[in-house]
Amino acid sequence: MMECKQYRAALLADPAATTADMRAHAAACPACAQFTRRIEAFEARLTRAMRLPLPVPPAARPSRPTVARRRHWVAIAASLIGAAGASALLWLAVPRSSLADDVVIHMAGEPDAWRRTPIAVPPAALDAVMQDAHMRLSATAAGFVSYASSCAFRGHQVPHLVVQDASGPVTVMVLVHEAARSADNFDEQGYRGEILPVPGHGAIAVLTRNQNLDAAALDRIALQLRAAIRWTN
Amino acid sequence: MEADLTMRTRVGENEKRARFQALCESLRPDLLRFALWLSRDRSLAEDVVQEALLRAWKAQDSLQDDRALKPWFLTIIRREYARTFERKRLPTVDLDALVASEEPALAGGDDPDLAELRLAIYQLPEEYREPLVLQVLMGFTTAEIGAQLGLSTAAVLTRLFRARCRLRALCGEDVSQDPEDDGV
Repeated sequence: MMECKQYRAALLADPAATTADMRAHAAACPACAQFTRRIEAFEARLTRAMRLPLPVPPAARPSRPTVARRRHWVAIAASLIGAAGASALLWLAVPRSSLADDVVIHMAGEPDAWRRTPIAVPPAALDAVMQDAHMRLSATAAGFVSYASSCAFRGHQVPHLVVQDASGPVTVMVLVHEAARSADNFDEQGYRGEILPVPGHGAIAVLTRNQNLDAAALDRIALQLRAAIRWTN
Repeated sequence: MEADLTMRTRVGENEKRARFQALCESLRPDLLRFALWLSRDRSLAEDVVQEALLRAWKAQDSLQDDRALKPWFLTIIRREYARTFERKRLPTVDLDALVASEEPALAGGDDPDLAELRLAIYQLPEEYREPLVLQVLMGFTTAEIGAQLGLSTAAVLTRLFRARCRLRALCGEDVSQDPEDDGV
């Protein structure tokens, strides 16, 4: 049986990586359970503090082209006319960056999120991530959330969650700033997913690497998450 | 036939580069935060991240696995920061001056506790601050932090434990029930 000292030291070293032994100890020891709640609250603040405010990058600021810049573009366009045929073909062949593309690319940069884990994100940490985007998540309605991070996406901070479904981990991104008119399924680079509109609040993207998870199951998870979100603004 | 193949190759390269660029853009905010926590200096952090992005862009063909991009960037940033620090012999940032100037990096928005906590993080020695930032901000496991910093997992756990204990004490948290530090 784990001792209180061992438990607390392990919790302070890595609050997100609790083991079965640790959970059993916390369940049997009220003092350590109380200690855990304090550490979880501190960890939520620490997570928020780590996300230092950053200035808006120049690329994200809208700008109107000046006369000089327009002339510059006219000159470039004129010089490119000779190569227009081949270039146009090449340009047409390159796919545009769609919302689904960007979600897939974002996921490629977050390999940690795909870990299958039995440990749920502490409620305080989950609240902190959701609060950053002015929303709350009903943990019971959402299911088992094993990962929560406030991520930069298309110039905004958005909640990035992983829900452990019976079929495996499913990623959810709440995209308040994106517009989606209707539900859209995609299958790209080994990822299958759905973009589901949220009337008045952008869209939800649901993504999995599990090729056995069909569109109906993805839709069920997306609807479940949409219903679990409470908007606070 | 040959022209068709050339065009397909170009399209493939363009797609790959666009994808790499988007990946870099999505990582940039947290890389900048990591550099800020390391250097405590916004302009130095921006220079170091810019240099890291430039190096990554030049060397993108050598990167086979997207999952390796984040640790790869961090390694470049850490080296670049160490190199810049050595080259310029930068003065140590005075934390009191940092607070007095209301450095935006400490701003806590509508939560004054956040500014206090951020200052406490800056006060941690680098050997504790860096693994904590890697864990909390970058989402690295202790094994990954160990690989990044050249430490054993046990040594990383000790540093993380000490980092949180010191941080809690600096923030005036009740630490009476924290275990004593005898090498976790």
